Amino acid sequence: MANLWQKLTHHDGNGWWNLPHNKSNELNPEYEGPIGGAWFGNLWRTLTYGGVSHASAGFYWLVGFVLAIITLLELWLFTVETLGGWFIPILLLLSVGKFIGVVAYFMHLRFDHRMFTWFFASAMIVGILIFSLLLFLAENAHQKPLF
Amino acid sequence: MMWAFLASDVMFFGAFIATYLVYRGKSLVGPYPSEILDIPLTSVSTFVLLVSSLAMVLGLHYVKEGQKNKATLWILAVVILGAIFMGFQFYEFREFAHEGLTPRTNIFGTTFFILTGIHGAHVTIGVFWMAFMAYSSHTGALRQDNALDLEIAGLYWHFVDIVWIVIFTVIYLISFSDGPPPGVGPTIVH
Repeated sequence: MANLWQKLTHHDGNGWWNLPHNKSNELNPEYEGPIGGAWFGNLWRTLTYGGVSHASAGFYWLVGFVLAIITLLELWLFTVETLGGWFIPILLLLSVGKFIGVVAYFMHLRFDHRMFTWFFASAMIVGILIFSLLLFLAENAHQKPLF
Repeated sequence: MMWAFLASDVMFFGAFIATYLVYRGKSLVGPYPSEILDIPLTSVSTFVLLVSSLAMVLGLHYVKEGQKNKATLWILAVVILGAIFMGFQFYEFREFAHEGLTPRTNIFGTTFFILTGIHGAHVTIGVFWMAFMAYSSHTGALRQDNALDLEIAGLYWHFVDIVWIVIFTVIYLISFSDGPPPGVGPTIVH
């Protein structure tokens, strides 16, 4: 019971997306500051770890900047006429990138226990399966039945 | 509990997005997406919603750090950006109506207005929720020890953002080139 309570309420950094690997991966971590180790590792840790179980303000700005760049990229792709059949797959890929960026970092699933990720992802998986089946049936509704 | 609600909302929006895709390109009368969608305008509103998500995490960050003024400012920014997004949507709906597209015009109008309208309703609820949170932060009722209240509200707000990411891609970017069916001429001549 105590173990379950800890899983539900404590941060143990056992996230689904383990990028970037930072101090918040540790059990209820304490901030140690950029001392020791390689300079880049320290810089990255300082940037991504704000002394609490979530990321720092600087890291959120960085994520926001990347998401803005992806949005601009989508707009630019819209003006490119030579993509042909690649247009939709590339847009979907960028959309998935933005989706994961917001869910993993802004909705802090990356910093939470993986149980929450499974909870959310299971609905996504079931939803995508059901609606893909719906689309398949709708596309093939005019054809003769198989049996 | 909020994650359970969001999981159910995934299915809710999924149903409307799937319905839109099933009926995509099936309109027999115009206006069609290629004649009416304004990508640059919607891109700006998409960017506004994305920035509001950034403001949301910064608001939560400063509440957890106990910096009341900064927290209130960022939560207020979420309210303002959310209201701006609603303004864009209202403008777009009005323009579409002037161009002759209403929920009763064709199947595109029906699926488009229902999907974006329900999303707009979610944004509206979120704006009122955030306004209450900004007021709570201003009065000191929202503090470090009960920051979870804002965290839950934030999850809702980010969810509204990711739903729009999908809607923007499916309706605006992918369906933009959808024109009249073969043998039918354009409805709107610019």
